[in-house]
Amino acid sequence: MVFEKICGIIAEKINCDASTLSEDTKFADLGIDSLDVTELVMNIEDEFGIELEVDSSLQSVGDLVKLVESKLD
Amino acid sequence: MIVSPICEMLGIKYPIFQGGMAWIADGKLAAAVSNGGGLGIISAMNADADYLKGQIDIARSLTDKPFGVNIMLMSPYADEVAEIVAREKVPVVTTGAGIPAKYMPRWAEAGVKVIPVVASVAMAKKMERCGAVAVIAEGMESGGHIGELTTMAIVPQVRDAVSIPVIAAGGIADGRGVAASLMLGACGVQLGTRFLVAEECSVHQNYKEMVLKAGDISTAVTGLRFGGNTCRSIKNAFTRNFQKEEYSPDATAESVALLGVGALRKAAVEGDKQDGCFLAGQIAGLVSKEQPAAEIIEEIFKEAEALLKGAASWVK
Ligand SMILES: Cc1cc2nc3c(=O)[nH]c(=O)nc-3n(C[C@H](O)[C@H](O)[C@H](O)COP(=O)(O)O)c2cc1C
Repeated sequence: MVFEKICGIIAEKINCDASTLSEDTKFADLGIDSLDVTELVMNIEDEFGIELEVDSSLQSVGDLVKLVESKLD
Repeated sequence: MIVSPICEMLGIKYPIFQGGMAWIADGKLAAAVSNGGGLGIISAMNADADYLKGQIDIARSLTDKPFGVNIMLMSPYADEVAEIVAREKVPVVTTGAGIPAKYMPRWAEAGVKVIPVVASVAMAKKMERCGAVAVIAEGMESGGHIGELTTMAIVPQVRDAVSIPVIAAGGIADGRGVAASLMLGACGVQLGTRFLVAEECSVHQNYKEMVLKAGDISTAVTGLRFGGNTCRSIKNAFTRNFQKEEYSPDATAESVALLGVGALRKAAVEGDKQDGCFLAGQIAGLVSKEQPAAEIIEEIFKEAEALLKGAASWVK
């Protein structure tokens, strides 16, 4: 559920097909840099109503999913 | 007299910051700017807590006005310098290269006002949510680490996205830049390049000469290909070599990261015009004389005031 929502947000942002994304997809391979990650985090914060820490450990779709799940528990 | 909300918030006379400058902005420069009515900022750069404490003591011995400290969040000493800022109750901290969320509660408790440098709207919103009292929206015209947007584009967009005051940075060196920034929605400015040639700036004389001699197209951007450490500095052997290596087919992010090591020190301390990295902004071409910091500030605001008073003449 979290995974699908996050993929939807990413796909919307970079104009790609959400079904091509997996937990292993690296942001670098999508051309997503640290400024883009911050923007994604803001969109996710709004969508889920949570607050997330942004740092350089966020490198892949899976990292983001794990971070969000840890806040929802 | 130009008065903006940031003056009242920080207890300063003119809404101008001297930006943090690694290896350059020490307690002496910060005190000179603060005594001149602006907000001087000490750079904590990649040094440890003892260095910073020493510079704070120097600033306090030279001024009783408020000043700030700039922390680069990727510094290996970020944790200990963040703690010193809180313990010393430094009035303002500005941050670069990241999001200082983990230090915010401690700084808030100590009464330290946090004003991060941001390079995008999303970063500005994130900072506001974390408790920043203002943000510095910095365009890629600036010297030092740069983002993607220009000052003209980032300032009004950040202004619309947050409700805290916005300080404009990047490409501002005179009254025209200040007047334009206010029109874009900023309520203050941060300058780096022009303060490099302040009399109280202890950077190597060769550095000042490079800035004074620079023209409009004298700067180059290095580190763009792999990102992470994209910088603007004055074109010289260092930037030419960096770009050659960076764009060579077998360059990697790791090999490029090594190219800049030690180059800032070589420029600021040794004045090595060949191999030093002379961080400076596109506006360096407008910077043409060495002056006391207070004189720089007064000159800029006198010009800005005259321009703003005359602005109504455009409207018929
Ligand atoms: C030599 C130099 C070093 C800098 N070092 C830092 C730094 O350590 N931390 C930081 O946040 N900004 C740094 N900056 C950016 C300045 O604080 C300031 O925002 C910028 O210089 C404004 O643009 P301008 O150069 O066009 O005036 C540096 C700028 C210069 C010119």
